[in-house]
Amino acid sequence: MGPAEIHERLRTAYGEAILEFQDALLDPVVVVRPEKLHAVCRFLRDDPVLRFDTLRLVTGIDRPPETIEIVYHLLSLTQHHGIRLRVRLAREDPLVISLQDLWPTANWHERETYDLLGVRFSGHPNLRRLLLPPDWVGHPLRKDYVRPAEYHGIPTDRKTALERRVTAVAPAMHQAKDVPADCFMLLNMGPHHPATHGVLNFLLETDGEVLRRARAEVGYLHRGMEKIAEGMTYPSTMPYTDRIDYLGAMFTNHGWALAAERLAGIEVPRRAEFCRVIASELNRIASHLIATGALAMDVGAYTPFLHWIRERETINDITDRICGARLTYNYMRIGGVSRDIDAETIERIQRWLDHFGPMIDEFNRLISGNEIFVRRLANMTVVPAQDAIDYALVGPNLRASGIDWDLRRDEPYSIYPEFQFDVIVGKGWRGCVGDAYDRYWCRMLEMGESIKILRQAMAQLPEGPVRAAVPRVLKPAANEVYARVEGPRGEAGFYVVSDGSDKPYRARYRTGSFTALPVIERLAPGLMLADLVVLIGSLDVIAPEVDR
Amino acid sequence: MNVIQQLADAAARGLLHVDPATWSYMWLVYAVFIALGAFVTFVFVAIFAGPVSWIERRIAGRMQSRIGPNRVGPQGVIQWLADGLKCLLKEDLLPALADKWLFLVSPYLVFTGMFATFVALPWGANLIAADLNVGLLYLLAITGLVVIGILMAGWSSNSKWALFGGVRSTAQLVSYEIPSAFALMTVVIAAGTLSMQGIVRAQGGWPWDWFIFRNPFLFAAFFLSFTSAVAEGNRTPFDLPEAESELVAGYNVEYSGMRFLFFLFAEWANLYVMSAIATACFLGGWQIPGVTPEQIAATQGWTYAGLQLLSFFVFAAKASVLVFFVIQIRWTLPRLRVDQLMITCWKYLVPLSLVAILGVLVLMVLVPPRGVVDYALRGVMVAAGAAIAITYVRRIWQTFMADRDLYRRMEGKPLWFPPYRLP
Repeated sequence: MGPAEIHERLRTAYGEAILEFQDALLDPVVVVRPEKLHAVCRFLRDDPVLRFDTLRLVTGIDRPPETIEIVYHLLSLTQHHGIRLRVRLAREDPLVISLQDLWPTANWHERETYDLLGVRFSGHPNLRRLLLPPDWVGHPLRKDYVRPAEYHGIPTDRKTALERRVTAVAPAMHQAKDVPADCFMLLNMGPHHPATHGVLNFLLETDGEVLRRARAEVGYLHRGMEKIAEGMTYPSTMPYTDRIDYLGAMFTNHGWALAAERLAGIEVPRRAEFCRVIASELNRIASHLIATGALAMDVGAYTPFLHWIRERETINDITDRICGARLTYNYMRIGGVSRDIDAETIERIQRWLDHFGPMIDEFNRLISGNEIFVRRLANMTVVPAQDAIDYALVGPNLRASGIDWDLRRDEPYSIYPEFQFDVIVGKGWRGCVGDAYDRYWCRMLEMGESIKILRQAMAQLPEGPVRAAVPRVLKPAANEVYARVEGPRGEAGFYVVSDGSDKPYRARYRTGSFTALPVIERLAPGLMLADLVVLIGSLDVIAPEVDR
Repeated sequence: MNVIQQLADAAARGLLHVDPATWSYMWLVYAVFIALGAFVTFVFVAIFAGPVSWIERRIAGRMQSRIGPNRVGPQGVIQWLADGLKCLLKEDLLPALADKWLFLVSPYLVFTGMFATFVALPWGANLIAADLNVGLLYLLAITGLVVIGILMAGWSSNSKWALFGGVRSTAQLVSYEIPSAFALMTVVIAAGTLSMQGIVRAQGGWPWDWFIFRNPFLFAAFFLSFTSAVAEGNRTPFDLPEAESELVAGYNVEYSGMRFLFFLFAEWANLYVMSAIATACFLGGWQIPGVTPEQIAATQGWTYAGLQLLSFFVFAAKASVLVFFVIQIRWTLPRLRVDQLMITCWKYLVPLSLVAILGVLVLMVLVPPRGVVDYALRGVMVAAGAAIAITYVRRIWQTFMADRDLYRRMEGKPLWFPPYRLP
């Protein structure tokens, strides 16, 4: 169903709730009365034709002087369609009903919106700041936000911080006081813990080895990417997107480029699309190498990780040849890519693929079939399909739970429809569907699919330019667009609102790890400490994606 | 008659010109020689634990297609000295809220528990500090001191992660002592003695004289006891007390400098201790093929010394193979979870070791020693052992060759250095 039909169906059922249908936008939006929001959303979720089972994104947009808008991106995994809802709130004291009872994933999105824009959500069970410290003053994504000069004696300005020798120490970011600890042990897992894959903190309540509760405390890596984008032009935001997901920088690059290209109506040359796909799939393999290897290391096997690091080293050498960088690529440009892929690089990729295929078998002999490894992963930390949908899991995590959904096939972008590849769906290979082993094995098999795509792309690589003619100053007209790519950690989504200037009015990033963390909170009770490590590793959570 | 007493007596006769049996101040000479013996053993432990750490890191590097420490000295052989020196120079940190005395003492307890085992290890035909008539029992008992040290370290650090490690370690060591002891009891039954030298003497130089290949139950008991020993030594796949990715470092997380080094000392020394116990009990110990202990005792002078040295090397060679095996396991296998660890112990290892004891008893009654059936059993077991060893080596070799060819095809140059040459 297209947005217009969805709107029609909604209007027949809830005509009085709809204020406006903005179908002139690139991604049309239905404007809803705030007081009817919950009823409308319940209808959208439960209607047998619409069945919007997933809440993709909650975005707050500050529109001074009067309003704050909240935009909800809804998606139906079964019906393969999406719609956006918008509510307009008074800027003075914005209050809207919480949707976390309909879609549990809304919990964190709403906390973030509260944190960064000061919108309150009625009925939210735990409306605390998410990314910023609890005693931070102000809401940074408001347009009239003025940054406090210092925080507990630490200058927030970079220049003064360097000039003045900073001696003050910030207080502990999150206090453990509000967790009842009658006879259980409170344990801070993180922010510096090898299993958290970055600077994450889990506040654990343990009864011996068994967890009673786990609470994820995030924000240690919060760099305000969305705020930074508001002060940057479209092309100059590109290097920042590298840092959203440093293991899959090609995908965040690609997503941002797609968003800007759709806003400005730029056609990308065909060769550039191929270059993008080749670079992206290489990056996907590299990211999955880290994910599977690090999971093996979390389980205690150190050697598989280093074998994968060796393979990744070759990929890094190749991306070095492609774009001059090994980790933060900044390869994509709006309207193309920065450099062409030469024949020698293609040949090198070919040779590496010949090497890598058998290497997967060797890796499987080393670890995948290992009895201890299988017993640690199979039937452990099962994410049921309904939980996966409720918490809006994406990418391999979603597919491992048995849901056949891949953006490359189901919401095609770039030139992916031209390639033959399988979407790997969890089958319960060693245990039940959605267990840690499925998530691991999905990633292993996806590497094989990436090899297939790479071989096809390299065989079909056409001649031609790799960059379209793009105006030096990109000033897209006022519009809104949601662009997304299938990254290694799932959907990398970019919701960009333009206002006719050369800078985005509002940029919102959707990442896979952000939605995966609440699942850990949900599954943790009853797990053992060692299982929590497996859970974090198998969901492939990385901290910069969560905090952005 | 152990070597220290022999030397002390000889010294009393030669230097002091007194009769060791009647002289009333003989205990002083003994005390001096015991101190000397302890010192020599201590130095040996130190120089053993050091290079083993280097060997382990080099082997790990090799297995993980990296190089490992190769800068200090040729091939990095004295890397361990540099590391030891570094640890000596580091600040000895004491957490503000730690239980001071327990915190300071526990590394030495752990080390003492490990070091004391060296007293009863049979290094060679007559090379043993003290051939106790309860040698094996002593070995099993004295390692219990390690548990106390580790629990003390975990508790006194006043860190929850250290406590986790300490408690895990206690549960693990206490549990695994049982299958370990039961499995070793099979050897005691077969040899009829608890003395380490007696156990070694009950075997022979050739593989078919070793206890491991005597019958299927002793064969199984070897693997049971060795598995339990690996678990008692906190090595992968049973390294839960110091699980890197779960507990960061476990019970020793708050330690620094020399005290931290003492924990590692104990760990690497233990690597040798468990291999030595398994060698002595199952693999024929220091027995030289074709030479009986009586023949050694009958020789004099340089031949005697040479044979002693040879027996020492035989013992060291067998133990080193096991050490390598443990290192290889460590860098191959993942780690068990706590409940799986306990299940492995109580549901599998303990019943199986009891079965092994029963089996050995039954066979001792049914099969007359040195009869046809006995030798047939030994032959079958040696063949089975050889088949396992050949499969093991072949699999490693095949993977190595496959890896080498793949890399050569990709890069057009040899992958790595041949096994006999290290970078």
